[in-house]
Amino acid sequence: MTKFIIRRFLSLIPTMFVIITLSFFLIRFAPGGPFSSEKKLPEAVLQNILKKYHMDESMPMQYLRYFNDVLHGDFGPSYKYKESTVNELIAQSFPNSIVLGSVALALAVFAGIGVGITSALRQNRWQDYLAMSLAVIGISVPLFVIGPVLQLAFSMQLKWLPVSGWYGRKWPLTLILPALTLSFPYFAYIARLSRASILEVLRSDYVRTARAKGLKESAVVLKHVLKGALLPVVSYLGPAFSGIITGSIVVESVFVVPGVGRIFVQSALNRDYTLIMGEVIVYSLILVVMNFAVDIVYGFLDPRISYK
Amino acid sequence: MASKTIDTRGELINEFNQSMKPVSLWADAWKRLRKNRMALFGLWIVAIYAFLAIAAPVLPLYDYTSQDLFQANLAPSFRPSGEVAITKAEARLTEIQALISEGRDDLAPELDKAKVEYDLLKADIATNPNHKKVYILGTDYLGRDMLSRTIYGGRISMLVGLVGTITAVLLGIIIGAISGYAGGRLDNFLMRFVDIMYGLPYMLIVIIMMSVFRTEGSSSIFILFIAIALVSWLTIARVVRGQIISLKNSEFVEAARSMGASSGRIIFRHLLPNTLGVIIVFSSLSLPGFIMSESFLSFLGLGVSAPDASWGTLVSEGVQGMELFPWRLLVPAAIMTLFLFAMNFLGDGLRDALDPQSKNRT
Repeated sequence: MTKFIIRRFLSLIPTMFVIITLSFFLIRFAPGGPFSSEKKLPEAVLQNILKKYHMDESMPMQYLRYFNDVLHGDFGPSYKYKESTVNELIAQSFPNSIVLGSVALALAVFAGIGVGITSALRQNRWQDYLAMSLAVIGISVPLFVIGPVLQLAFSMQLKWLPVSGWYGRKWPLTLILPALTLSFPYFAYIARLSRASILEVLRSDYVRTARAKGLKESAVVLKHVLKGALLPVVSYLGPAFSGIITGSIVVESVFVVPGVGRIFVQSALNRDYTLIMGEVIVYSLILVVMNFAVDIVYGFLDPRISYK
Repeated sequence: MASKTIDTRGELINEFNQSMKPVSLWADAWKRLRKNRMALFGLWIVAIYAFLAIAAPVLPLYDYTSQDLFQANLAPSFRPSGEVAITKAEARLTEIQALISEGRDDLAPELDKAKVEYDLLKADIATNPNHKKVYILGTDYLGRDMLSRTIYGGRISMLVGLVGTITAVLLGIIIGAISGYAGGRLDNFLMRFVDIMYGLPYMLIVIIMMSVFRTEGSSSIFILFIAIALVSWLTIARVVRGQIISLKNSEFVEAARSMGASSGRIIFRHLLPNTLGVIIVFSSLSLPGFIMSESFLSFLGLGVSAPDASWGTLVSEGVQGMELFPWRLLVPAAIMTLFLFAMNFLGDGLRDALDPQSKNRT
């Protein structure tokens, strides 16, 4: 097991290396740099600017410099927001995204499993049909439709919740709609997944044994069924997490949440390349580490898996 | 299933002396699909959408680019747009008058402005035949017909979905087949590459590509195609490779090889047709995914650029004024959602029909 963890951990390195290299060269070979769109600068000024950002050096040199900086945790200055560095911008927005993302993930997992259990135990009754119709909606409807429609219904018509924003007097309330929106597709998928696997486990021999020895139904479900049925959900956590990260880009834009996703979109529209790079690296690092963690947890949960 | 009818020509007879009509995989799958009501519903909806998208230029639709500011933000209605606009202007006049009679004297200039607009509108209606048009789904902020904009937006969205799927499938088949058939070092190398690509945050890479290569003004659909296709062939490559590996040592391949068939012939004539079911299921389930990705990018302003519009663009335009003009959001959102629904139902149905023992059902 230790060996597997170490090997799996080492495999993160090439992935991160490819991500950094790929995005670096994609951006450097782009037609038009960050300074070419502004009004024509005098040649001397342009040279000085390029020098300041080390863009007068050769490409491999720039790459090595950038790589070295990244390894030291320095993403360089932002091209657009002249007074702040990329590190500062990410540090400011990161906590907000973490709050939003983790609330959404928790909501998706707990509500999803809860609904999955309910509809599996009430198979082919109205609870099941209701839950599964909801799940199909969640899987088919894009986030950027769910978000505005929820805003329209709960903020503009019913006036229960604030339309958008983050900080301020209404603080915890501003979290509700974005977190609901963001969690919805993953809630739906987890509900379907756990329903299907619970139904399968319910028919298995060991559940019959548990019932035969006279266990209460609640004990059967909570102790025996759930443990076996949750494995697919655990392995879905990796994709769910990466989905929540990309989803947060659109949700933060819709609800004006000052998080990493919103800055990411703005930096992509502004072509603020250092900022894009920094965000991609941070995002990918989280993703890769999360997938790693899911693999490890999976190994502990499923005794049938042995790592060589 | 062998049918029990006796074949007078007696071509195929089983051990009970009954003639058998061989049922092909496809006929069998079609039978199963026809029994699945949701999938059939999906198939119909998809067919209608495909028809509308293909036939849009010859359908009696208003031009989706023609603007008329007199007809901006009209609600869906079956009445001629002139009447709708007049009713709207009258409602505004009475609203302002009511507010003024409540003591809001500061609104007097507003009232004058509204009156001037009302008179202008009346004069325009008398002369301009545009006001006879009927906008059953309303108009947007420039007075463009929502119906034709949604249909033309759907054309772009569906095109992106289709091209993305086709490219992903072709790339995936070629790489997966080579990798699975060749085996050994090449296989190892290709699959390591796929593993690493899998670890990449797909949407982020697409966003970078769109941000880097998109040029303002010119159409960016082509770049969108490339960006989406380049990162989406991974799953199909893995699936095809797995299928090829499981089949490449079977007897019929052995037979073909002993008869002197080339590797290319074996791959394309003998191995790939066996993976067709999986490929069809994958395509039908990934098409809505591509449409979602495209709309996602367009929503953020990183997808197709004006004058082209996709469903994502329409939704993002609709969000701008949704409090006052909700139909501008709801019309494209509902039409797009219905299509995604239908595609998902159809995809699920195809999977059940073509691969009845599928393990990864949810």
